[in-house]
Amino acid sequence: MIAQIGLSILLGGILLYAWTEWPRAPAIGSVAMLATAAGLYFVWLPSHASWLAAEVGIGRGVDLVLYIWVIISLLVMLNLHLKLRSQMELITVLMRNVAIAEARSADVEQASV
Amino acid sequence: MSADRNKSVWVVVAAYHEAPVIGRVVADLLRHRYAVVVVDDGSTDDTGQMARAAGAKVITHAVNLGQGAALQTGIQFAVSKDADYIVTFDADGQHRASDIETLIESLRTQHVDFALGSRFLGDAPAMPLARRALLKAATWFTRRATGLQLTDTHNGLRAMTRRGASHIALRQNRMAHASELLHQIACSRLGYVEVPVTIEYSAYSLAKGQRLSDSLRILVDLSAQRLQR
Repeated sequence: MIAQIGLSILLGGILLYAWTEWPRAPAIGSVAMLATAAGLYFVWLPSHASWLAAEVGIGRGVDLVLYIWVIISLLVMLNLHLKLRSQMELITVLMRNVAIAEARSADVEQASV
Repeated sequence: MSADRNKSVWVVVAAYHEAPVIGRVVADLLRHRYAVVVVDDGSTDDTGQMARAAGAKVITHAVNLGQGAALQTGIQFAVSKDADYIVTFDADGQHRASDIETLIESLRTQHVDFALGSRFLGDAPAMPLARRALLKAATWFTRRATGLQLTDTHNGLRAMTRRGASHIALRQNRMAHASELLHQIACSRLGYVEVPVTIEYSAYSLAKGQRLSDSLRILVDLSAQRLQR
C-alpha cells in the first residue's frame, strides 16, 4: 500500500507536468498524459496489468509497468529537448535583433561623419 | 534590367568561414549593381572584413547560429531597408550573379511572389552522382511534404517579393531551413515559379556542401518542429 501511494504521488506529479506542457507540445503532452494515466491505473489494479501483458505478449504485468515507465522517461527527455529548442529560438531572435540594431547604428554613425 | 531598378534588389548572403571566396562573390554581385548584405554568422576567420572590404553591408552574429538563422536576419534587414525584391545567394561562389536577373524578371512578368532556382531545369556541370542522388531524394521527400511541384528543393538561389518575404519567418536555424521555407511558401498560398539556373561546383563548394548525415539531421529537426507549437 505504501509503495502504491508513493508511486501514485510520483505519477500524479508527472501527470500534472504533462498537463502543463500540453499547450507548448500537444503531441508529447497527450501521449505523456495517456502513459501516466495507464501507469496510475496499473499501480492500483496490478492484476489487470498481468492480464493485458499476457494479451499483448509481454509476459508479466511488472514488465508492462516497466515499459510504461520507460515510455514516460523517454517522453520527458523528448520534452526537455523541445524546450532547449525553444530556448535556442529565443536566443536567435535576441541575437538577430542585436545584430540588426548594431548594423543600423553603424549606418547612422557613418551618415553623421 | 537597368542599374536603378537593381537598387531595389537586395541580395542576402549568409556566410560562415568563407574568407577565401566571399570577396569575389560580393564583388561580382556589386558589379551587377545589386545591394548586398552579408550576414557573417559568427565566423572566426576574416569573412566579415573581406565582405566589408569588397563593399557589402555586413551584419554580424556574435556566435554561429546556422544558415537558416543568418538568412532570416538578412531578409529582415533587407525588408527594413525597403527592398522590393530579396534574393538569397550562397556564399561559396557556386551561383552566378547573372541568374538573379532571370529570377527577378520572372517575378515581374509572371506576377508571382517567389522565384526558385532549379539546377535540374538549368545546368550543373560537374555535379557528383552521390550529390545528385541525395538532392533527388530530398526533392521527392519535400514534394510530398509540401505539395509544391518542384524539381530542386535545396537550391540556395531564390528571389522573393517584399510581400513574399513578409510570409517567411524561418525558425529552423540550420540546414532544415530550406524545407521550412518551402513549407511556408506552400502555406502562404502565394504564387511561385521555378527558374533554370546554373550551379558551378568547385572543390571548395563541394567540401562545404551537404552530406548524408546532414539529411538525417534535417529530418530530425523537421520532426521536432512538428511536435512544437
